[in-house]
Amino acid sequence: MKHWLPRAYLTTVYALLYLPILVLVVFSFNSSRTGYRWGGLSLQWYESLFSNHAMVQAMWNSLWLALAAATVSTIIGALTALALHRYRFRGKRVLRGMLFVVMMSPEIVLAISLLALFLLVGLQLGFVSLLLAHVTFCLPFVVITVMARLSGFDESLPEAARDLGASDFTMTRTVLIPVIMPALLAGWLLGFTLSLDDVVVSTFVSGPSYEILPLRIYSMVRVGLKPEVNALGTLLLVFSLTMLILSQWILTRSKR
Amino acid sequence: MRKLALAGLIAVSLTGCSGQEETEVLNLYNWSEYMPQEVLDRFEEETGIQVVYTTYDSNEAMYARLKLLEEGGEYDLAVPSTYYVNKMRKEGLLAEIDHSKLEGFDNLDPELVDQEFDEDNAYSVPYLWGTTGLAYDAADLDGENVTAWADLWNDKYQGKVMLTNDMREVFHIGLRVLGYSGNSTSPEEIEQAYEKLAELMPAVRTFNSDAPRMPYLEGETDIGMIWNGEAVMGKEDMPSLEYVYPEEGTIVWLDSFVIPKNANNADAAHQFISFVMQPEISALISEEIGYATPNLAARELLPEAVAGDRSSYPTAEDLTNAEFQKDVGDDAMQVYTRYWERLKSGR
Amino acid sequence: MHRVLQQPFKTAVLLLVWGWLLLLVLTPNLLVVGASLMTRDAGSFLALPLNLDSYRRLLDPLYLEVFLHSLYMAGVTTVFCLLIGYPFAWALSRIGKQRQTLLIFLLIVPFWTNSLVRTYALKLLLATNGLINNALMGLGLIDEPLQLLYTEGAVIIGLVYLLLPFMILPLYSVFEDLRRELLMASHDLGAGKLATFMHVIVPLTLPGVLAGVMLVLLPAMGLFFVADILGGSRNLLVGNVIKNQFLDARDWPFGAAASILLTVAMAVLLFAHRLSRRRLGDEEPAT
Repeated sequence: MKHWLPRAYLTTVYALLYLPILVLVVFSFNSSRTGYRWGGLSLQWYESLFSNHAMVQAMWNSLWLALAAATVSTIIGALTALALHRYRFRGKRVLRGMLFVVMMSPEIVLAISLLALFLLVGLQLGFVSLLLAHVTFCLPFVVITVMARLSGFDESLPEAARDLGASDFTMTRTVLIPVIMPALLAGWLLGFTLSLDDVVVSTFVSGPSYEILPLRIYSMVRVGLKPEVNALGTLLLVFSLTMLILSQWILTRSKR
Repeated sequence: MRKLALAGLIAVSLTGCSGQEETEVLNLYNWSEYMPQEVLDRFEEETGIQVVYTTYDSNEAMYARLKLLEEGGEYDLAVPSTYYVNKMRKEGLLAEIDHSKLEGFDNLDPELVDQEFDEDNAYSVPYLWGTTGLAYDAADLDGENVTAWADLWNDKYQGKVMLTNDMREVFHIGLRVLGYSGNSTSPEEIEQAYEKLAELMPAVRTFNSDAPRMPYLEGETDIGMIWNGEAVMGKEDMPSLEYVYPEEGTIVWLDSFVIPKNANNADAAHQFISFVMQPEISALISEEIGYATPNLAARELLPEAVAGDRSSYPTAEDLTNAEFQKDVGDDAMQVYTRYWERLKSGR
Repeated sequence: MHRVLQQPFKTAVLLLVWGWLLLLVLTPNLLVVGASLMTRDAGSFLALPLNLDSYRRLLDPLYLEVFLHSLYMAGVTTVFCLLIGYPFAWALSRIGKQRQTLLIFLLIVPFWTNSLVRTYALKLLLATNGLINNALMGLGLIDEPLQLLYTEGAVIIGLVYLLLPFMILPLYSVFEDLRRELLMASHDLGAGKLATFMHVIVPLTLPGVLAGVMLVLLPAMGLFFVADILGGSRNLLVGNVIKNQFLDARDWPFGAAASILLTVAMAVLLFAHRLSRRRLGDEEPAT
């Protein structure tokens, strides 16, 4: 096999993956209204995006929701992974199986089942319903990420800690959490990503009291030429990248 | 320390969502692109009430969502077409309009108030009315004479036809082409209309009810259905977009403000309706989005170019054979729904 | 009681996760099963009596046709994802560790724009006046713009674009585990390249392939917004049918039955996945 072939292949696929995004970013600075042609550099779409406060509100709501969903699912997911890794208990296989099934379930199935539940218990569709739904679909991904890290981890450390008289809780805090920190971060990032990307589940379980992006832009996107959407996508990308660089920075600093 | 940061993050994210609750809010549930932003801004400026504008693209979607969220009273104002006003009124989904809180109701066209779908306007206040007719791109269909719904079935337009994503409207043209009423409740007639429409399907490029003008502007389609206001808005960007009142008769509809039964802020809803009924505001709306206002005082304020535009304000001749959309009842709706799904999924 | 006190941490964690899964996964799914057995009601959403009508309607030629067409589009999507993703994951697993992390990360970045926005970006490319047509016409390759948007092909392109990373990630993880020595051994034993591929690599990566298929095939039937935006509300997916039943036509029993159909499809795939792992002597059902 030629050595350059795999690289050329990877490059091609990445180029195709990034082409639409590149178009999005470039066209967000395009002054032409009719979308498809280049009319010169301009920031007008950012201006009109920011003057549309419903849209800005929805963007913040989406980001807050993603942050909250990622955080909650990381906490619950990490605890679950620890329990699965360290304890023997009845129904362990069932628990694993269930998480696996949630991970593999088509979103739309999850979406309508949660909608049915929320209506039955009379929960107002808004932030809480969205958070519960997003945490549910993020959870298995966090569990798997953390489990992968734990399985490669030296068992003698917690044993030693326990021999020294540390309680489970103390041991978890002082020994385990530092070890699985990279996995927690990866899991958190995955949760954040899945939550921000989601359209299907959000369509079903959100209400007017807490509007997030997919609903706000759905008809705009169906309408066709809305350069504000380009600006919005670009902003989301920039925000997420900043978050990531920040978290990397915190991580490397805490390692020192 | 890190845990503290985490706790802080959660706290911030939870408060972040409840922080804006203080300002008074009006939740307006309306069709896509059916209210100029300027009107919302001016209302907010004048009253301090923030309008949260959410959209739908069909009466069915609006109805399903209101029904879903019935208990929460999360929407304060919606804008269904007449036949849905009737249906929702009968089902007890609407709150009565308190006419003592309204100003300017007298300005409305007497021919459009106190209709059979809602006598005395106890539950609805007309917002805009309009027609669904034929559109074609004169730049692409050179010298064509497009005059009737039946022209859509012409082989020349293969892959160039657009329909609205609206069950009742699409069946309306199928029924009219066959000579039936567009408000038919007869399963046989609906089935025949379905079969007629099924012949058209291979020619249909797309369905669009969010902004039916866009497929024409984007060059995806050259002929098909359109709402008159969309035709007016579209012509500004593309002068070759023509609007035609078809021979079999155009579809006439009227959309009205209604207040859902459990609305949280019915007062603001009344305020908003009054605000829109000011002649100046109604005129602004009609001018901006091209539909006809039922507000006679507003019509007098319109520039001649708008008031005299036959696309927005049809003449009596344009309305020959025109039919007003009516409620057909849940049983007939079920029949329509089934054939509609069959139509859209047919290949 | 004694044990509970001894391990308050364990008890609390298990209660939390079991509680979450029972309340937000098991209960809702049972509700859907219940709803699918009930009757549509115009006023409230559901009514008695219980019956199997909704399942019977799934067999109605109309819906059967939609499901088969949706399955066909999802199938083509999956094949494309596999054809692109398999060599991709292999190539990815062969380059330096540090670059791998960066490249995996690059797979995730697009997600941050929201899939709806990315679908919209594809529309910019595929439209009649869009960039692809403009470029092709500019190059003189075509005289008339091609009809790309609002076609079956556009829907499939959209699905492949959105779902490719979900095929690559599980494949990448099996390629990572694939030990070089095994390949060496096979080679030393005189197996040719093709034989090595067919008898060693394919069986060993099968669980990854199946996991990828599961993560692509089923969601591909559910992403209703892709059919809406790129298919022009034609070329419907099962997801559109389900969404319409819940958010337009208000036929909950039928929508629920359609979603159970998807769940059953998932169960079949899960079973196949387990079997493939069993054969490799791997007990863990986790990816």
